[in-house]
Amino acid sequence: GDTIFAVSSGHGRCGVAVIRTSGPGSRGALQSLTGRPALPPPRVLALRRIRDPATGEPLDRGLVVWFQGPQSFTGEDCAELHVHGGPAVVSGVLRALGALPGLRPAEPGEFTRRAFRRGKLDLTAAEGLGDLIRAETEAQRRQALRQMEGELGRLYQHWSDALTQALAHLEAYIDFSEDDNVEEEVLSQGEGWQGKGAGAGTPHPCSSQRDSWSLPAVDATVRALEREIGSHLQDGRRGELLRGGVRAVIAGPPNVGKSSLLNLLCQRPAAIVSPVAGTTRDVVEVALNVGGYPLVLSDTAGLRDATDPVEQEGVSRARDRLQEADLVLAVLDATAVPTEPVGLGAALGSLQPPPTTPCIMVLNKADLLKGKGGSLRAACTQGPPLPPVTLLSCKTGEGLDHLLALLARELARLCGDPLSGSPSLTQSRHSLHLRQCAVALARYGRERRSDLGLAAERLRLARRHLGSITGHVSTEDVLDIIFRDFCVGK
Amino acid sequence: PWHRRAGSEAGAAAAPRYEVVVIGGGHAGAEAAAAAARGGARTLLLTHKIGTIGEMSCNPSFGGIGKGHLMREVDALDGLCGRVCDRSGVHYKVLNRCKGPAVWGLRAQIDRGLYKEHMQKEILNTPLLTVHEASVEDLLLTEPEPDHPGKCQVTGVVLGDGSTVHAGSVILTTGTFLRGMILIGLETYPAGRLGDQPAIGLAQTLEKLGFAVGRLKTGTPPRLAKDTIDFSGLQERAADNPPVPFSFLSEAVWIKPEDQLLCYLTRTTLKAQEIICDNLHLNNHVRETTRGPRYCPSLESKVLRFPNREHQVWLEPEGLESNVIYPQGVSMTLPAELQEQVIRSIPGLEKAKILQPGYGVQYDFLDPRQLTASLESRLVQRLFFAGQINGTTGYEEAAAQGVIAGINACLRVHGKPPFIVSRTEGYIGVLIDDLTTLGTSEPYRMFTSRVEFRMSLRPDNADARLTHRGFEEAGCVSQQRYEEAVKMRAALEDGIATLKSLQFSISKWSQLVPEVPISSSRRLPLSAFDVLRYPEANMELLARVVPEPLGKLAQWRQLAERLKIEAAYEWCVENQQQEIEEVRRDEALRLPEDLDYFAIDASLSLEVREKLDSNRPQTIGALSRIPGITPAAIVNLLRFVKTNHQKAEKLKALPQADKYFPEKMYSEKAALQRQISAKSSEEKQEYL
Repeated sequence: GDTIFAVSSGHGRCGVAVIRTSGPGSRGALQSLTGRPALPPPRVLALRRIRDPATGEPLDRGLVVWFQGPQSFTGEDCAELHVHGGPAVVSGVLRALGALPGLRPAEPGEFTRRAFRRGKLDLTAAEGLGDLIRAETEAQRRQALRQMEGELGRLYQHWSDALTQALAHLEAYIDFSEDDNVEEEVLSQGEGWQGKGAGAGTPHPCSSQRDSWSLPAVDATVRALEREIGSHLQDGRRGELLRGGVRAVIAGPPNVGKSSLLNLLCQRPAAIVSPVAGTTRDVVEVALNVGGYPLVLSDTAGLRDATDPVEQEGVSRARDRLQEADLVLAVLDATAVPTEPVGLGAALGSLQPPPTTPCIMVLNKADLLKGKGGSLRAACTQGPPLPPVTLLSCKTGEGLDHLLALLARELARLCGDPLSGSPSLTQSRHSLHLRQCAVALARYGRERRSDLGLAAERLRLARRHLGSITGHVSTEDVLDIIFRDFCVGK
Repeated sequence: PWHRRAGSEAGAAAAPRYEVVVIGGGHAGAEAAAAAARGGARTLLLTHKIGTIGEMSCNPSFGGIGKGHLMREVDALDGLCGRVCDRSGVHYKVLNRCKGPAVWGLRAQIDRGLYKEHMQKEILNTPLLTVHEASVEDLLLTEPEPDHPGKCQVTGVVLGDGSTVHAGSVILTTGTFLRGMILIGLETYPAGRLGDQPAIGLAQTLEKLGFAVGRLKTGTPPRLAKDTIDFSGLQERAADNPPVPFSFLSEAVWIKPEDQLLCYLTRTTLKAQEIICDNLHLNNHVRETTRGPRYCPSLESKVLRFPNREHQVWLEPEGLESNVIYPQGVSMTLPAELQEQVIRSIPGLEKAKILQPGYGVQYDFLDPRQLTASLESRLVQRLFFAGQINGTTGYEEAAAQGVIAGINACLRVHGKPPFIVSRTEGYIGVLIDDLTTLGTSEPYRMFTSRVEFRMSLRPDNADARLTHRGFEEAGCVSQQRYEEAVKMRAALEDGIATLKSLQFSISKWSQLVPEVPISSSRRLPLSAFDVLRYPEANMELLARVVPEPLGKLAQWRQLAERLKIEAAYEWCVENQQQEIEEVRRDEALRLPEDLDYFAIDASLSLEVREKLDSNRPQTIGALSRIPGITPAAIVNLLRFVKTNHQKAEKLKALPQADKYFPEKMYSEKAALQRQISAKSSEEKQEYL
């Protein structure tokens, strides 16, 4: 069987939070998180540093307990981690657990269910637990949704509805199409589901298609959902950014001083600098603290059409990094850029940063500016559509304070205030399910052409993950949609 | 008037005695009787007319999406319909070919006459199975066995001539014959099928016993004369070449591929809509509120729900020699003369002659939530129900229930534990679990979308899922079939092991089979099984490049095809395995069948109690699928499972109370039995 984990103490910020695991992977989980192969003796508290096994980063120092099955609540091997109750700590530990193979978040009431299966609960305990369990599940779902001010709950429900409808249409296509009137257009043409716009005021996606016979295209809906869930997961990564650091990428043409900027910011020669264009080939990474926010800064190869195969690889890595970045530091040569805003925008555009990623423009070599300085300075204060722009001289350090201020402002915006609107515990369960949902949706596209049954399986899986957050949907719901939307014969 | 027909043996002196008596010779009844007899029970099949055994009362086809899966499973349990279809089809076609083998729908147009002929031959030649022509008017009942739920138990049946037959178990498969009513236009008359009498006495008996009964409707299209149809402008659909047989035992079907018949497609026009809408006042069936099937709607309901569209009409042959065409998609209940107008408004049918008008049927069905997963009723012990009487539609759904009821009626008599197919094991399991847990409000049809583990429960592997169990636990599978299944299983296991052990680097594979676009970031070598997963790969291709050891695997065609499917679905089946385990664990936790949900001391809301009482889930798994049941209720009921389990453990020390002791039972309880049956048999003998 698999191993489950969940926060067993209450929700919200508190002094101590208890995170519990149950299942055969509990031993390994405790070993990984404490970084020690030796477990404390069973049922004895031990103080340990708790680290994320993936990054080695310390998450907290807390008490851990090891319960060897069957002498545990569930009768299986169990572990408990008593950590500080800060939301960032808790969600960090949950995420670390979720990343371990064979571990998954517990379903509501699952610990108790396992306890029952193992015969660990006696009759009186069972009776007493009836109400308690209900409180756990209902509260878990409702409270989580309420914490998200209802807005997020509605969004998830909206996705779930759209996915259920997409699945229903796909199922109809599988179960009926050949003899009936369900045509291939269901899958590929038509309007499809239009995503978030439909949520605000426009009619519900499930209600609008009925009479018009413009069948929503399953493929388009899946793609739209995938995109939306993907960007939602990005939006919602504040807690993760705070813990794991904002990934900022220094990008720009060759020889504009990107490596010099890295060295300046980390105050040591971490990257090799030389006047030769194309010096940096691999990605150089340093971790920094800017205004209290964690920043993982990457220096990348200058973006140009390189001929040297090693440099080509470096450029391709730089482009990959750019796509994954949380923040882009676009470095340009101040002496080589146009001095009016439109030209500056075009110069930035030539670097092709991902359109939704925040960006700071750094115009380096300001010390070499002569007469041009004034007009360029004026252009820098232009504001949107230009991102924040700063003039900098890596050589003299001029403009560094301004850059650091800009950085701190962007970081604060990205990470949010850790003391307010912090990610709740339930959300971290949600984000795991959402991520798995997004993965399943992405795979749908791959299976779709070779085996529709397998493709449908991906959608079923995606729906199950969404259903774990919003409440389950039954086969009957799918059939209801099929019969409502299609005139099917035998 | 008390004429006894074919096959009757002894006179009135000693009432005959059988271990299993099956009432009804339709698709459920035939399978049930044959399954019980295969299992070793002396079985009697009672039907109005031996000549109607194997009658296909509606469409001239078997199988389809989901339904083909059921047929494969029936076949895996050594049922009849698959092999009979392999001997009587005239147009075999696998539906969903391009959508993946898990959802392939084996289907065939069947020659009605041949099907009936072969089915009757099977039934009349089954050892231990006797067939009588008789109507059944009543049940013989006696006191219930202790330790089983139920207020009485059935011990036999009363026939139309007043004679009795004693039985260890009775299976009711009366289809639409319970208070069957045929409707054409404003005319109605009682009948189970056009030309056949309904069963009214039995309906009253069931009602008196307290069975909850609902009413459903269905319909059938008019039949057309083939020589009056102009096929020239219509779209043709050719059959598969080669045809794929239904049965695991058939190497090929009986007909030569090139001799197969064609089907044709035409479409209704708006003229049909106009006629229907103008004449709704002449159409009782459509106006009534009884629930009909949403997926097999009459032309009237299609026109009303989806107006201003063309609707497909498939013109299907009824047989090789037959002049009858079955226009699938236009079942209707208009008065006969209007049906002709509708038909003649359809392209190709302008001059078509109607041989028999379409009609609607309304009939009683038994709420299947009153049955256990073995299809035995909770109210009357040893009384089983199968087929359309349980609210299903379709020959295949009926046959599937028939096999299960037959097996279990036999096991019950022999004092063995019931044979239950889980949702995780087969479409049959899903069908019966849905029916007995959730009930139905419209004729229930199998869909692949109802099946959680669709990727694992495929038509290709039904034998691997069910044949072994059928042989070992139910005894309903022949030695020959069992050996075939064992052989295939071993060959599959060996084949997969061989393929997995054959490993090359990716570059070597790319060189060997350049047509397979292998994309892998792994540096590790890739096995032949991994390569076989690609849509572009198959065993033939692999055997060509690695003849040793793959050559002999590719030669066995069925094995090669199944290996390919196993490879394609491996990851998915593995992924589902854990979920399957969870469902099985929940299904293993049984709830007592006689639990009084209103009396139990647990914190359950009244609403939940009512739901539980009417659904009577048999396991925690079934319980969790009932809409609106809270996790709290589940936990509370787990408690009862636990106590029940402990009680059962204690009881194990005692001898089996479940054995069938006919002599003892009849002598001790004869008096009471007569009393009970006398009351309900007063109104019998209206027919025959």
